This record gives sequence, structure tokens and C-alpha cells, in this order.
Amino acid sequence: MDDKERKELTINLGHGSGGIMTRDLLDKVIFSTFDNPLLNKKHDGSIVKFETEIAISTDSFVVSPIFFKGGNIGELAVNGTVNDVAMCGAVPKYLSLAFIVEEGLKMDEFIRIVHSVKRAADESGVQIITGDTKVVERGKGDKIFINTTGIGAVHPRAKIDADNIKAGDRIIINGNIAQHGMAIMSEREGLEFESAIKSDTTNINHLVSKLLDTFGEDIHLFRDPTRGGMASVLSEIASDIGLGIKIFEKDFPLEKQVAAACEILGLDPLYVANEGVFISIVDEKIADDFLSFMQKDPKGENAKCVGYITKEHPHKVVMQSFIGGTRMVSPLIGEQLPRIC
Amino acid sequence: MPDTYKILFNGQVQGVGFRPHVSKLARKMNITGTVSNNEEGVILMASGVADKVLEFYHKLVKNPPPAARINGHEIMKVKSVAFDTFDIVPSSAKGKLNLALTPDFGICPSCSEEISNPDNRRYNYPFTTCVNCGPRWSLTNTFPFERAHTSMAGFLMCPACQSEYEDPKDRRFHSQTNSCPNCGVQLELTDNKGAVINLDTDLLFEELSDLISIGKIIAIKNTGGYLLCCDAANPEVIQRLRRLKRRPKKPFAILYPSLDLLKEQLVVNDLQSQELMSTERPIVILSSKGLKSGLAVDDLAPGLSQLGVMLPYSGILVLLSKGLKQPIVATSGNIHGSPIISGKEQSMALISDVADYFLHHNLNIVNAQDDSVVKYSFKHGQKITFRRSRGFAPNYFDHVKKNMGKILALGGHLKSTIAYTPNDYLYISQYLGNLDHFEVYKRFTETTTVFRRIFQEEPHCILTDKHPGYLSSQYGEELSKNLKVPLYRIQHHRAHFASVLGENNLFASSDAILGVIWDGTGYGDDGQIWGGEFFTYRSGEMKRSAYFDYFEWLAGDKMSKEPRLSLFSLHKDEKATFFKDKFSAKELAIYDSVKRSNILKTSSVGRIFDAVASLLNYCDVNSYEGEGAILLENAVNDYELSQLKVYVHAGEDCKIHTHILWENLYKDFNNGVEKEKIILNFLYTLATVITEMAVLSGSQKIAMSGGVFQNTVLIDMLKELSKNRFELFFNRNLAPNDENISYGQLMYFVHCMSKKGV
Ligand SMILES: [Fe+3]
Ligand SMILES: [Mg+2]
Ligand SMILES: [Zn+2]
Ligand SMILES: [Zn+2]
Repeated sequence: MDDKERKELTINLGHGSGGIMTRDLLDKVIFSTFDNPLLNKKHDGSIVKFETEIAISTDSFVVSPIFFKGGNIGELAVNGTVNDVAMCGAVPKYLSLAFIVEEGLKMDEFIRIVHSVKRAADESGVQIITGDTKVVERGKGDKIFINTTGIGAVHPRAKIDADNIKAGDRIIINGNIAQHGMAIMSEREGLEFESAIKSDTTNINHLVSKLLDTFGEDIHLFRDPTRGGMASVLSEIASDIGLGIKIFEKDFPLEKQVAAACEILGLDPLYVANEGVFISIVDEKIADDFLSFMQKDPKGENAKCVGYITKEHPHKVVMQSFIGGTRMVSPLIGEQLPRIC
Repeated sequence: MPDTYKILFNGQVQGVGFRPHVSKLARKMNITGTVSNNEEGVILMASGVADKVLEFYHKLVKNPPPAARINGHEIMKVKSVAFDTFDIVPSSAKGKLNLALTPDFGICPSCSEEISNPDNRRYNYPFTTCVNCGPRWSLTNTFPFERAHTSMAGFLMCPACQSEYEDPKDRRFHSQTNSCPNCGVQLELTDNKGAVINLDTDLLFEELSDLISIGKIIAIKNTGGYLLCCDAANPEVIQRLRRLKRRPKKPFAILYPSLDLLKEQLVVNDLQSQELMSTERPIVILSSKGLKSGLAVDDLAPGLSQLGVMLPYSGILVLLSKGLKQPIVATSGNIHGSPIISGKEQSMALISDVADYFLHHNLNIVNAQDDSVVKYSFKHGQKITFRRSRGFAPNYFDHVKKNMGKILALGGHLKSTIAYTPNDYLYISQYLGNLDHFEVYKRFTETTTVFRRIFQEEPHCILTDKHPGYLSSQYGEELSKNLKVPLYRIQHHRAHFASVLGENNLFASSDAILGVIWDGTGYGDDGQIWGGEFFTYRSGEMKRSAYFDYFEWLAGDKMSKEPRLSLFSLHKDEKATFFKDKFSAKELAIYDSVKRSNILKTSSVGRIFDAVASLLNYCDVNSYEGEGAILLENAVNDYELSQLKVYVHAGEDCKIHTHILWENLYKDFNNGVEKEKIILNFLYTLATVITEMAVLSGSQKIAMSGGVFQNTVLIDMLKELSKNRFELFFNRNLAPNDENISYGQLMYFVHCMSKKGV
């Protein structure tokens, strides 16, 4: 396909028929991009070998718009699943990749997405080893949906289990919150800020591996606060562990621009989605070392300790706010509906 | 053998001097027997000549002690018993409680007199109480109301107090809170580091009033919690208090040392002075027009033409007032939205940088309460409760239906309260506050626990608001899971309407009743934000019949805090020049695109008030809840209805056309019509629309609830407009705002849902 062809072509139902057009699309776009021995067998599936416990995670990506500041749906689909595997304390190795394309998607856009899938996979060190492409009629999708499933080997030193969390444990996050959600929202709503707010989509599996190498079983939990944001994930953890969580609003790393955007829109950044952010709950005794270790990594430069686990207020997340009062943080329900009279 | 009768009284009959009253009367009438408190109230055995005993019974029914409220009474003849005397015998609670809890009472004139009299042994002793007065609910761990069940349990009566307690002729005969300087509560005046300044009550209050007069802020532990006090004539100290309390503009209540001084300085009518002197002793909101004194009114109540005023209702405030020549600020001791502080350690931890000095004492406050607040509309004297707390909580007396079932209703979010029917009574907690604050949330959950514990009853079902994000709704869900009882969610405005129907005993009415329910926000049945609703009620059926045409809800909770956003939402022309003064260019660009792609809509009348407040430049961003609307109300003086005009009429299509209202109002603004006139026309429009809707729906009865009906100018207009045409109903003992949601949920459930076999 030359550039001109790419610009004009759109994906149509024929590309999903299973016939010549499908073969053609797969050969020209998919196989040529991901070129690896396992995939090249062009079998229905791939056979891989693991010597240890494995972690599997799957996710479907339906973001709109599909291109946004800081990324697109393709790399999101890789990073999201890679990160979820990493959150299990595992080292992601292989990925499946399934597209559901709405008739009419520009070929050019499809290819750009596939290429960024490739780039993201390379960066995180995973191989795409099986996949699928379907085309649905116009109106039955939203440009493109992607499903990925990731498999990884559990890190030998990982002991990720909410049952290990105890009072005194510290809660550490690796970077600025609310970037992704605000980037998507400003793109979608056509909101103009001084400089563009960029999604934070990125892989964090390498950093996670290094943390596990160094701190092993003193890390009690990893979680990535994607949809529903920090508030929802922390509430979930608190309700699971039967202990309380105390956090400090002032300690949450928040980029100025994002803070201002949230302020203007009346959004609480704790409820806004993240992509390249993860929470570590670690033993008190390693907390300082853990934090400074993280801060030396490019993906943890802005890391902060934002709170701790406490015996007080079991099952509840309580936040000390900027102005000194405390408030209860509850999970996001549906949307942020006004409660004040 | 004499005839013997068993006599029962229930209602608010404990902790009010009922037993001493009974026994005095019995002795006078030569009747023998016993009287005691039990779990259901007061129980008597009375022996004597039959006619005499009946006369005795009727006298008790007709003339109970002043603080008592009899709900029910009963007499039955039993087997004859011969008694030698008439005695008060200890409580004999066998079963679960089934009685009214006793609220706090303001200090009575006799006790007040005693502590001011240098010859009396209680001179300068602030915890002087008698059977007719003093704190009750704030000290109560459990009932029946006996000393051992209160915070007074730790204070052993001295011989002098004990003999009063045992003397049937004494005012303190069986007074459970009896104490004196020798055996009672200790005071301590400290600085804000905790160093003791003074322990001598004879000097301490003089010292306090001196400190206030030189511009100090004092935290005073009163009967229901700490108050922060300072000179009300000193702008610097008031501004300092505002800064430290993070309360930039919200009005402060003031304490007048005496009714006489109050009357010298402000106009007080009979209704208002009766309320100020009632046993409940609330804060009463008075007009501050024509104030004759050097008070710093602009600092006390910025932009307002009214002042919240109270009179000394406790011994502490009486003694403090002796040294005062001018009123002082007396505001709840807390920081910005957290609950009123009631413990010494807590006070030192939280407000030691606010107060310069502290007056502590060692009487434990079990149920902290804020001061209650009421207002009478200035023109037609309609009573509106703004906050129901000390003096009123936790009883609710009016029109309580029997056998409602054990229902726990958890109310709203911002002005949370709890209602419970564990027995034959209905209890409504004091105002608890904004659940976003964790300390308030704790107080809220603890209050449900206290209610469950005191009555030893678990609810059979739980009611919450429909709003999934209210913390009370979420707590309800937890509780329903833990107790394995069903949970029902009740729409906010239906609950408001049910509250006013319940308070006025209107559920049985077969006439159509128009419900006008206007407030700031509530989660609607259609997922939109309601707040300008009309309902019709008839025989158990409540229908939403009309509403203000929807407009855009922008920016979540921020819209409620920033009237300028309501203006932006309502005003069609986004290029209007005045927006440039109210928003940055960046904000304008963003709100512009947000408005175009917005999904959430609202019918909120509260937000229309906000839009008017912003358009007329009274307020673009609230510094306290409802500021914009309050400033509008305070900006108007007198009016003549015939001089006013209407911006929109009720549409036959069951809608109030919000945008037509807005366009016409804006036209006046654009034509330079004076602000006060625009506000009056706006209020007149709202009042008119109500009566028009009543005509359209064929209702002769109109019931109002929701926070908008704290606007007493609107109420006065409505009263004039509907004279001889409509019967108006307002909330009676409850506030029209979300404090009534818990009660309304209960009423809605009992009268509109449970019938249908829910
Ligand atoms: Fe309301
Ligand atoms: Mg996932
Ligand atoms: Zn008294
Ligand atoms: Zn004594």
C-alpha cells in the first residue's frame, strides 16, 4: 500500500469476511508489523512454555476518541494489559490482540494504531503471539475496539496478596494522577487549556520488575487506578482488607495544568482515570527506600507516599484535605453527580 | 379499704419534674401510693376515696409540670392496696424503652435568680438546675432519665443537695441533675496552651467578660458543646475569628445579655420574644434594620439586614452575661463544617489556634448539639425553622401514627438527620451536618448506633435517598446488609413533600393537595437534578405534576457553590459582556464547550436564585451555602404587590418556562430597572406561579417544602396572594431544608409505599 492508497482506503465488511481481503489485510498490516516466529506460524493459536506460575489478564479497550494527546487506543490496549499483568507481580511476556473494527475506519488510522501497538509491545518487551480481526457494520461499533490478553511469569520474589497488608503499611504512587482522564475529556469536549494535557499511558512493567527484584515480599500490593481513579481503587482495597486507609490530599502528585482543569470542571482528581500510574502498598520499614528507588526511575520521578494503612475507621478511606478537615472518600458511582444543595 | 388505681402517663414525662409534681399534689390531696419512672413513662399507684383519686388524675392531666408533654394517659382500678404515705420509688424499667426522650431545657427564672444572688449558696454556680430546667439529652447515656444514666453519675450529691433531693417541698425534689458548688461541676479558665488562669468561679466570669472586652476570643464549653465568643462591637476581633475559623462571610449569631438590652437595640415583636424566652431557647433571626448600638453589623452579617440573636440559656451564659454591657458573638466551636466540639482534648487539638482562652468544665457532653435557629417572616409572622437541634431534638410529637413498624430513615447528605420509629414514638436526631466531613459522618453513624442501643431495637427496614452518592445512602446499604433488612430508596423531593404532609397531618386528606418542592438539588427519578417540582397528592398517591423547564447542570458540585455558573447556564448569550467580569477567558472557553455537549439537566429553583444573584452582582461565588439567595432576600425592603409584575406564568403544559422567565427578567436588567425591583418581581413571579399551578391542578391546599422556602419574603408574598383563596402549609417543627428528609422518607414510606405491599 502506498501512502495515497492508505489515505483513501477505508476498512469495509470485506476485510472481515475471512476471504482474500482479510488475508491481504493481515499479511500487509498485521503479520508484517509483528513479524515473530510464534505468530508467523499463522496457526489458530500459539504454544509457549512456562516453568513457573503464570499470571493472565484480559481487557477490552473502547476509548473515544481513539487518538488523543499522549497516545492512541493501540498503545493503550498494550499498556493496559501489560500493566495489569505486572500488578499481579508478574513479568508480562506474551499478548493476544483482537480488533473489532467498525466499517468505515480509515485504513491509515488502522495502520497507525497497529504500529503503535507494535511500538508499545516492543517497549514493554512482550510479543504478540495470537490475534483476531473482525469488521462490524457501520453503527455497530465506535471506530475500533481492541481486546488484549496478557500472560506473564510470576516474579520469583513476588508475594502480592491483599491479606499481607497490615496497619502501618505505606501507600506509594509512582506519578502524577488524573492525566489520562483529563486528556481524554479535553480531547472529547474540545476543551482548550494553556498547554495540552497528555495522557500518561505507558508501560510500568519494567519498573515493577525492578521493584520486585529489590523489595520482594515487602511489597504487599500493586494496583493500577484506571477507571474510577484513585478513590475507587483505594475504597475497594479498604473494603477488602478490613483496615482503614488514611491519605493526604496535599501529597498527591498532580500536574498544575491538570489540577486547574479539574478545578474548572468541578471534578475531583481522585476520581479521574489514570493509565501509567500504580499504587504500591509496602511494609513501613522499606517505605523510604522504596520511594527513593522509585524516584530514580524515569517512570517514578514524581513518586510520593500519599498515606498509610490504619486500624482506625476499618473499611473506610479517609482523606486529610488541604484545608485541614477530613473527609470520607467513597468509590465513584456512575458519574460525579452533584450532592450539594 | 381505700380504692386503688393504677395511672399511666406517657410522652415527655421524664426529667421534667413529673414525679415530684405528682407526689406534691398527692400529699396535698391526702392520696397515698407510689410513683415511678418506667420504660413507658410514669406509673402511679394511687389509693384514696374514689372521687378524690379521679380528681387527682384529672388535675395531673390538665396541669402537668411546665416542661412535660403528655401524649397519652390511662387510669384503671386495681386490687385495693393500703399505703402509708405517697412516695417516689426508684425506676422500674423491665422492658424496652417506650417513651419520649427528654431534650435540653433553658435555665428557669428561679435558678437564674439563685446564681445571681450573692446570698444564695449557688451564687455563681453555672450548673444550677432544677426539675424544670437544665440539660438533659446532651447528658444522656440511656433512659429512664435517672442520674445514673447521665454524665451526672460521676458527681455525688453533698448532704445539702441530697436533702433538697429528698424534700418534697423543694424545687429540686428528685431533680436528677442536682448539684452545687460543693459537689458539682468544676470550671477551669485556661489560656490556649492549657495553662490554668483561674479556677475561682467568683472571679472567673468577671475575668471572662474583661478578656472579651479587650478583644480576646474565648472558647466556652457550654451545655451542648463549645462556643466561640468575642466582642460583637469589635470589627478586628470578628475578622480575626472569621479568618481563623475559615468562615469569611457566613453570619455569626450573637448573645444578648438580656431581653431588655435586646429590646433597646432591635425591634422585637411578641412572637419573637416568646420564642427567645421559650424553654428551647433557640437563636431567633431578627431584622437588623434600625439597630441602635455600636455593633459591627457588617462584620457580623456581611451584606445582610438581619441578625441571629439568642439570650443566655444556660447558667454559664447567664453568669457570663452579668459582666457584659453589649452583646457578644456566640458561634459553634468548630472549624469550617466539622461538628461542634464537645471534649476538652478535642478543643485543645482543634481550636487552640482560634481561641485565646478556654473555659472548660468536667461535665461530659454525650450528645453534642448546635443551637437551634428559627425565624418569623417579618411581615406576616410565619415561623420557619432553620436548624432543629438543642431544645427540640430528639423528640417529635406531632401527628405520630401508631404501629408504623421499626423504620430507620437516614435522610440526606448535606444537612443530615436520622429518624427512627423503634416503638410508639418517632425520634428525629438533632441536625448532624455535612457528611462529607468525616467527623460528621462518624457522628451520624454513632447517632444511629445510639438510637439502636437506647431502644434496644433493630430496624425492620432502612430508608435512604435515591441519590447513590449520598454517604447516608451508602451507609444505609452497609447497614441493610449487616442487619439483613430491606432497604428502600426514596426520591428526594417526594420525601420533602411527605415531610410537610406529615407535619400537617394531611395524608388522610381526600382533597387534592399541591406540593411545591423547591430546593438546590436532588436526584430525580429520571436521573436529572430536580429542584423546581410540583406534585399533587391525593389519598396515598403522589404524582409529579409539573416542574421548571430543564436547563444545563454544569461542573458538578461546583455549580452549587458558584452562582456565576447558574448565570452562565441560564443566559443564552455566552458573549454577554458581563461574563468577562465573572470568568477568565480560559474558563469561558471551557464552559462554553461544556455547555454545548452537556447531558445533565436541572429544574432547580435554587440555581435560578443563584443566577439572579450573579446577574445582579450580589454574588458570583458563594462563601457559604445559599449565600447568593440570602443576599437577594436581604436586599429587599418593603413591597406593594400591586406594584410588581410577573416574568412568567405557569404553562398549561405543566411546565414553568424557565427561559421565558429568564428572558423577561434579563430585559428588565438590561433596561436598567433597579435591582431591588427585579428581585421583588422575581419573588412575586415565583409566588404567582404557585397559585396559578394550584388553580391548574384544582387544589385548594398548597404545601411547601425544600430549602427555597427559607426565603421569608417569598413566603410573605405567597401569604398575601393566597389570602381567602388557598390554604397554605409549611413545615412546622422541622426545617424546610434537607433536615426534614429523614422524616419525609419515613412518612413517604408509611403513607405512600407500604400500602402498596412493598
Ligand atoms: Fe432538598
Ligand atoms: Mg484490566
Ligand atoms: Zn430551674
Ligand atoms: Zn451539693
